[in-house]
Amino acid sequence: MNRRLTILKTILWAFVGGLAMLTVARFWHGLGATTNLSDAAPWGLWIALDVMAGVALAAGGFVLAGTVYVFGRERYRPLVRPAILTAFLGYVAVAVGLFYDLGLPWHIWHPMVYWQHHSVLFEVAMCVITYLAVLALEFSPVVLEHPMFGHPMFRGILKVLKRATIPLVIAGIVLSTLHQSSLGSLFLITPHRLHPLWYSPIIYVLFFVSAVALGMMMVSFESLFSAFFYGHKVRKDLLANLGKAAAVVLTMYVVLRVGDLIVRGVLPSALDGSWQSVLFISELLVCAVIPVALLLKRRVRNSVAGLAVCSILTVLGMVWNRLNVAIVAINRPAGMSYFPSWMELLVSLGVISAATLSFLYLVEQLKVYEERARTFPRKPSYDPASLHALAPYALSTPRRFSLAFVIAATLVAYFLPRDAVLGVRPTRTPVDAVRAVDGLLREDREGTTKRLDILTAGVDTPEVTKRKRLFMIDGNRDGNTVLFDHAAHIKRISIPGRDSCGTCHHLNMPLDRNSSCSECHRDMYEPTDIFSHSSHVRKLNGNDGCTRCHSDNSAAKTRDTATACSECHTEEVAQGAFVTSPGARWREAPGYMDAMHALCVTCHQKTIENTPERAPTNLARCDACHNVDHVARLREMIPSHKKMTPSDTFPSRNPISQAGRNKQP
Amino acid sequence: MRSSKGILIDTSLCTGCEECIVACKKENGLGKDRPWRGQGTIGELSASRWSTIIRKPGGHYVRNQCRHCLEPACVSACIVGALKKLPEGPVVYDENRCMGCRYCMLACPYGVPRYDWDRNTPLVQKCKLCEPRLAKGRPPACVEACPEKAMIFGGRDELITEAHRRIQANPNRYVPHVWGETEFGGTAVMYVSNISLDFLAWKPDTDDKSFPELSWAALKKVPGIVVGMGTLMAGTYWIIGRRMRLAAMEAEANKHVKELEERGTTNDSANEPEETTDGKNE
Repeated sequence: MNRRLTILKTILWAFVGGLAMLTVARFWHGLGATTNLSDAAPWGLWIALDVMAGVALAAGGFVLAGTVYVFGRERYRPLVRPAILTAFLGYVAVAVGLFYDLGLPWHIWHPMVYWQHHSVLFEVAMCVITYLAVLALEFSPVVLEHPMFGHPMFRGILKVLKRATIPLVIAGIVLSTLHQSSLGSLFLITPHRLHPLWYSPIIYVLFFVSAVALGMMMVSFESLFSAFFYGHKVRKDLLANLGKAAAVVLTMYVVLRVGDLIVRGVLPSALDGSWQSVLFISELLVCAVIPVALLLKRRVRNSVAGLAVCSILTVLGMVWNRLNVAIVAINRPAGMSYFPSWMELLVSLGVISAATLSFLYLVEQLKVYEERARTFPRKPSYDPASLHALAPYALSTPRRFSLAFVIAATLVAYFLPRDAVLGVRPTRTPVDAVRAVDGLLREDREGTTKRLDILTAGVDTPEVTKRKRLFMIDGNRDGNTVLFDHAAHIKRISIPGRDSCGTCHHLNMPLDRNSSCSECHRDMYEPTDIFSHSSHVRKLNGNDGCTRCHSDNSAAKTRDTATACSECHTEEVAQGAFVTSPGARWREAPGYMDAMHALCVTCHQKTIENTPERAPTNLARCDACHNVDHVARLREMIPSHKKMTPSDTFPSRNPISQAGRNKQP
Repeated sequence: MRSSKGILIDTSLCTGCEECIVACKKENGLGKDRPWRGQGTIGELSASRWSTIIRKPGGHYVRNQCRHCLEPACVSACIVGALKKLPEGPVVYDENRCMGCRYCMLACPYGVPRYDWDRNTPLVQKCKLCEPRLAKGRPPACVEACPEKAMIFGGRDELITEAHRRIQANPNRYVPHVWGETEFGGTAVMYVSNISLDFLAWKPDTDDKSFPELSWAALKKVPGIVVGMGTLMAGTYWIIGRRMRLAAMEAEANKHVKELEERGTTNDSANEPEETTDGKNE
């Protein structure tokens, strides 16, 4: 095997290795784990490249078969078999690509059963399925010619198939005409999404004509490809003629495309300098105008390099066209863009690589080209002069391919993002702009308890009240909002002489949101559960006491099924200790301060009334909880502008470290 | 369609309390919001939020949900008929048929259908107009939950009459247009509003043409293409094949004539071989 081919195959096997690893991630955790698709971009690279471009690239099959069998241009016969093989493998790749793209790929057979003839996609699916079968039949004589199928039965089948060639070719042309054009018709239903430079009522004609031209150029591309890798003789005479025909069809395409723009009156938008117009013009230049200009020159047409440049330009340009229609020129809501993830790209490349490897294998095994592809010339394992055995190669070629496969799979596994390994989590999204409402700040006469409330008509206000503008914040989206006094927070957090917004709204950092409440109110999440199971077991006489709390024998012995604390400790629950939502109509949750005060203060007051001797004297007063030290600690927790040191992050109450910190300059 | 039901939303009455969304989530068991990437805010439609309220400056609240079009683009796009328009009004989804091609999401002129991107057995998610409730003769959950009566449920014709009555009764309050009466061939969920709601559709200037018509224009040509292209190709094959056969025959004949002529110079009395070749070719 020559060096070029080995390098090519090693690279292709590496892509297939990456594909294998990504297959696991794709089917384990779903589309979201591996793609960048979203509700604004339901169709991505897999549809655009694997399906739309893949089908277009496989158009060479029907074009060449028609040329030779229907139009009787016998001299092109040497190009027919490779063209049909490319088409067949192309369509298999389309089907495989669809397996990755469909949400429920195991339902891929549904269109054959549930017919829906109003859907363009249904027509495409049926044509593709039928055409795949036709292509398989068209190609099968090449397989059956292999000496392996020498049995008379196979010979009989071969005879029948060869006789059916003409009907098969005509069926293939009809089916191709239908679905090559229908891939364009798919977008007829999206006038609201596709940019007018690409959306056209005759988009199906454009797709068909471009597919014919692309098919011809793809045939010359693949003969140059196999000539490069297998050292075949290039049939320059045939390719030059094919190039001339392609130039004619491409000219037709350009005329149709531009004429359509003129008729629809959108030509000005192709020249207005917007990014779409630049995209449109460069696409048209690459896929048609430059190749036509080159192909019209006899010198270019008759040179291998010229043909290679033209065919590569057309192939790339037409693939680009399909990508533009399916992805790039699709309008999306502002701010929602789509760019394929590296995993999407690698899956597409992997599928194409697998198809290419199959092509190379079949070319080597079967008589696809006139000259059979040269395979593995055996190298002598001994030196013919001295008859000494030579050292075996460190890596035989198959081993080299396996190594490439494994290394690529490992690399992909290593670089898989978190979502692709552990499953997808919905993205954190900023919540809605908060609703502002008119509210009240209620204080009792002593000013000890404060409460926020929504201002509603006919509310009696015995306490001292102040009108306030409040925000209703529903951070966890459970439908209950908290009233938030923005003005009071500004006043409380502000640092003299410095803008204090950044304490919460530090939006200068990329992807940053404002701080959540709990980042300052960290004591919201301090553990308050002081239940001790072992002491209860002791008090309730060991095993005899289990059923006191775990009364249901059939239920699991967990906290959720156990009797609630308050059912036994009735005396410890203060009257009115349960906070009810003040504004049920607004689905408003009690504020943090309301909740704490109502839950703690009432109970503290009751304790000091009932058992004054057992409680600290200040239990019912503010400084029982809000001692100076506690407030200072809360202050320290508030994030500030100054650069944090580890000791800042966890404020220590140890006087020695405190003193040590103060000594620092 | 006399029996076709719908919803009329009066955005001037909506206070944005989101009771309808809570009711919708409860009715359909949607659970917590699972916003997907690319979503502007958490309040936008998502796989777990079939209806939502768009807040517009000036205290305007506009409900967004599936419009249940009379000629739905999604239904005509669906490759396997998993989406269906029921005669009672709702556009419903059959998850056992869906194969997940997501063409419906591309086709919807309002961009409503959402997808379970984070599941490995994803489904299309959208409002089904509480179809099981309708079957029992109850209005959709959101309509029932609305404390401000900003939505009313009923026959589509009556709703249109009511909408025009409201606009006429209060011409200063409303924009004189019923959104959904004719857009994209008409929808079952309609709006009257005190602000313009053109932002709800992707592109308001589509001449009220229903989207299925657009693709049907191409689809109806399929039988013609099959017959036409088939005949054209078979005919071409026949004509070219015949011409080639004739050319071959002519060449053969010319060869024989030439041979005969050559022979004729030597021997005049031989005319039979030409006849035998003709017989062979026929």
